Amino acid sequence: MKLTVDGLLVYFPYDYIYPEQYAYMLELKRALDAKGHGLLEMPSGTGKTISLLSLIVAYMIQNPHHVRKLIYCSRTVPEIEKVLEELKNLIKYYEKSQGEKPSLTGVVLSSRKNLCIHPDVSREREGKLVDGKCHSLTASYIRERHESDNSVPICQFYEGFNREGKESMLPYGVYTMDDLKQYGADRNWCPYFLSRFAIIHAEIVVYSYHYLLDPKIAEVVSKEMNREAVVVFDEAHNIDNVCIDSLSVKVTRRTIDRSTMALQQLEKTVAHWLVSMRMSKVVPGNIRNAEHFLSFLKRFIEYLKTRLRIQHVVQESPAGFLKDVQARVCIERKPLRFCATRLSSLMKTLEIPDPSNFASLTLITHLATLVSTYTKGFTIIIEPFDDKTPTVSNPILHFSCMDSSIAMRPVFARFQSVIITSGTLSPLDMYPKILDFNPIIMSSFTMTLARPCILPMIVSKGSDQVAISSKYETREDVAVIRNYGQLLVEISASVPDGVVCFFTSYLYLESVVGAWYDQGVVASLQRHKLLFIETQDSAETSFALINYIKACESGRGAVLLSVARGKVSEGVDFDHHLGRAVLMFGIPYVFTQSRILKARLDYLRDQFQIRENDFLTFDAMRHAAQCVGRALRGKTDYGIMIFADKRFSRADKRTKLPRWIQEHLKDSLCNLSTEEAVQICKRWLRQMAQPFTREDQLGVSLLTLQQLQSEEQQEKIEKQVIQK
Amino acid sequence: MADDEQDTKEYRWETGYEKTWEAIKEDEDGLVEGLVAEFAQKAARKAVVPRRGPVRLGMMRHVLLAVDCSEAMNSQDLKPSRFLCTLKLLEKFIEEYFDQNPLSQLGLVLMKNKRAEKLTELSGNVRKHLKALQGLTEMSLNGEPSLQNTLEFAGRVLKPLPAHASRELLVLFASLTTCDPGDINITIQALKTEGIRCSVIGLAAEVRICKKLCQDTGGEYGVVLDDVHYRSLLLDSTSPPPRARALDAGLVKMGFPHSAPQTNQTDPGTNADPPITVCMCHLDDGEGVGGEGHLCPQCRSKYCSLPAQCRTCGLTLASAPHLARSYHHLFPVEPYEEVAYEGQAQYCFACLRNFTDLDKQVYRCGRCHEFYCWECESVVSTTIHVCPGCASRPHLYQRLPDTS
Repeated sequence: MKLTVDGLLVYFPYDYIYPEQYAYMLELKRALDAKGHGLLEMPSGTGKTISLLSLIVAYMIQNPHHVRKLIYCSRTVPEIEKVLEELKNLIKYYEKSQGEKPSLTGVVLSSRKNLCIHPDVSREREGKLVDGKCHSLTASYIRERHESDNSVPICQFYEGFNREGKESMLPYGVYTMDDLKQYGADRNWCPYFLSRFAIIHAEIVVYSYHYLLDPKIAEVVSKEMNREAVVVFDEAHNIDNVCIDSLSVKVTRRTIDRSTMALQQLEKTVAHWLVSMRMSKVVPGNIRNAEHFLSFLKRFIEYLKTRLRIQHVVQESPAGFLKDVQARVCIERKPLRFCATRLSSLMKTLEIPDPSNFASLTLITHLATLVSTYTKGFTIIIEPFDDKTPTVSNPILHFSCMDSSIAMRPVFARFQSVIITSGTLSPLDMYPKILDFNPIIMSSFTMTLARPCILPMIVSKGSDQVAISSKYETREDVAVIRNYGQLLVEISASVPDGVVCFFTSYLYLESVVGAWYDQGVVASLQRHKLLFIETQDSAETSFALINYIKACESGRGAVLLSVARGKVSEGVDFDHHLGRAVLMFGIPYVFTQSRILKARLDYLRDQFQIRENDFLTFDAMRHAAQCVGRALRGKTDYGIMIFADKRFSRADKRTKLPRWIQEHLKDSLCNLSTEEAVQICKRWLRQMAQPFTREDQLGVSLLTLQQLQSEEQQEKIEKQVIQK
Repeated sequence: MADDEQDTKEYRWETGYEKTWEAIKEDEDGLVEGLVAEFAQKAARKAVVPRRGPVRLGMMRHVLLAVDCSEAMNSQDLKPSRFLCTLKLLEKFIEEYFDQNPLSQLGLVLMKNKRAEKLTELSGNVRKHLKALQGLTEMSLNGEPSLQNTLEFAGRVLKPLPAHASRELLVLFASLTTCDPGDINITIQALKTEGIRCSVIGLAAEVRICKKLCQDTGGEYGVVLDDVHYRSLLLDSTSPPPRARALDAGLVKMGFPHSAPQTNQTDPGTNADPPITVCMCHLDDGEGVGGEGHLCPQCRSKYCSLPAQCRTCGLTLASAPHLARSYHHLFPVEPYEEVAYEGQAQYCFACLRNFTDLDKQVYRCGRCHEFYCWECESVVSTTIHVCPGCASRPHLYQRLPDTS
């Protein structure tokens, strides 16, 4: 349908639209008009992606001077693929209704692993290996060598692209990864380099966060993007952690050993070079410099080694660290800063064929560069052992970023509009603080529903009236664990198909399951459903997931025990029968004894005036919302969300849940005991099982163009937008 | 202690709050009478499924009815328990089923402890089914059901049936899981190719495998809200479904038995007692000696009730009224149009009751344009299957083209 959003003609590729989609577009347009940044929360399954795409594309077409580029960042490869599918759909709709393709190019950029079509290289499974192999076929000196000696292998696709591809532009259209591969294979061009090249000119670019947030990668990939661009971060509830991870370095003894080895190898190569050069009587000055540089690095690594030889925890600031380096091994700040660039140029000169062996060494140079570049917002923590195994000596040096705004700031400064969006961003006001920006719009949208398809409940006590909580003092209490078990057994007896449970940590999961086994809970659970457990081993977990899905599909029913912040809670959707109920056992606070976290909390308090408790609760609640949000992926879906902890019913926790959950969390559902909850579940499940058709939704949660344009509806949506 | 926990008995005070009074509101005069009438009308109205256009129906139905006898049937959310409630409703269902489909057959299957057990053979004998059902009340319910075994069993029973017969399976499923020996999806595909229509009535919640089963085989899936809804779901499945696949449109040989002729009276010369005849349906029980009965026109076996299938020669025996009763499904009364009562008519055309203020809605037949009250409307659509207005006008009743 074609609709007008605040005077802008938007092509929307579906016949029906959700009211919140329209409201979302209204807000989004406001941000674009003002050329400012925005923060938008809308539940998953309500078509965020298509709303974003159709509005921004329409805006781009009609205001070509205001917005020239759309950069859409998502988290995982499947999510990126989904965005491209929607985009393709949209462009097809434009083509159908206008008769010609809009002059837009949409390109995806992904790693070599996903895009390579070289018959040998693409067979590799691991990203690093693909990168290394690709490098050994396409580096400039290899290609030079190939000129003189035909037996040196090169990549025909890269050559093909280099010869012809750089002059030609990609024809208008949307290119998914498969399209790019096909396009490349047809012309003998390398899809990876094609897309690297194409994103500079393409109007719509879809790629992963890291290409923009990680300064090391952004420098290479996203340098030439112009200012008149809209940047969208989708699924951005964890964006601060991504920012921090991209600037943090962890050095263990293994890293040191590896890099020492790499350094020795480098020295050998340099020596070899020297010999061969001397023979030809040419000794360029930079090789001598290289020797100097290597000994410089050696000193630095030795220094790190001595620092790791400790018995107690040390925490210091980058400035203190630099001073110590200066005093002990006489390395000044300035040369450290250029470490990373120097190493990469050296490796280029030395024609190292496969840089993947030097990963550890590169890491060390990154550390050197980072530590000397940033003085604020970082901390260095050296721990002699891991927290979980205090007896085993395993020293780690954490160079940890505490300020997520450092990585974000250049992005906010460089681009005209940055939109941060996700299904769970509540409480919204925390993000502007920790990312240090000033949003023009900040909205949370609810889901308009024709039937109450989520049932959030807070279960605060067991059937014996003992309060249940994962609070540190009571979490090992037998009564609490038994009540948790009882709750799960009763729920699994009355909820069909799949039930997913989230625990606060692997440790807690293990101890609870152990206790359940002794109490006979596991046995009575297995009378109703099969039991699967997520472990830290990802292969094991994916195997468990496959079988979980199988059990749900075949009608046997299954329970999956997993961990908040784990792989399952972030990336796996449990829609429809795969997750009829989600239980959250306890509040998923982050491990508060960690020194890195403590340092970060201190920093947040000093710099941004965020109280420790506020941040911890915020972090815990967003993860809880993320976990329970796994169950609902659309309006025809339905799911039960159970928060099993007494503390959830307190106002400071409850109000931090996303609005679309809060709306259904009535007061009568906030302080339930196990059997009350089960009764409510049973009744609700029967109601949900009644036939539900599109006609039931029409006019309420699903609108046709006429219904959308009706005054009454417009008013309603306006009201919804203004409310916040 | 573990044993205590397994006691799933549920007390009245543990069940959810039922605020039945909240739905009732007083009108301007402080009366609830009008509202109660409206409720009744609404409930009656809901039961009527609008039948669309001419469809081919499977008239000679063969339905296997599988009843879940697992532990989940013990639950007391239907009163007095799911199982007893089911049995009670099933009695009604069986009567209604044979009333609506006199030419059809029914068989009962129990899903017990991961097995499917036959309770009664496919037959048209109401009494046998009812008797078998009554024997179940004391049965102990335990274990899990197996949907796959039930489906396999139904496949085995229904497969050899002649091509003109519709093959149906209706499962009353209380459990939320099924314990299967193999891949149930293969079984579902097999049933689909056999053209066996599977419907499920769930007693607790929507189970995905049941939904898939119904979707794939073209059946209906319903989940009960309460006993009233359960009843209406069960009774809905008494009317024949559209044919699931292209069945043969072949002719079926049928016999229309006469009453047993009184040969001895027509021949007064022999003055002997009438020969002792034994009714075939009661042969096994040793009862049914003597008395009147229906004789198969082909082999002259005696049957005390119709319809039946002749045990001797396999002929389908029916009487003309039975055929006529089945016939109405093909020409259902078109649903009446609901109109607000504004004094269009003085009285209901069917029962001649005067319309009063309580009748907010009246119903009009689209063919004869007469007005009916809601009670008559429900009787016409559920029981009589003939519109009184149309029936009194021959040209309408015979569905002749409009003369005007």
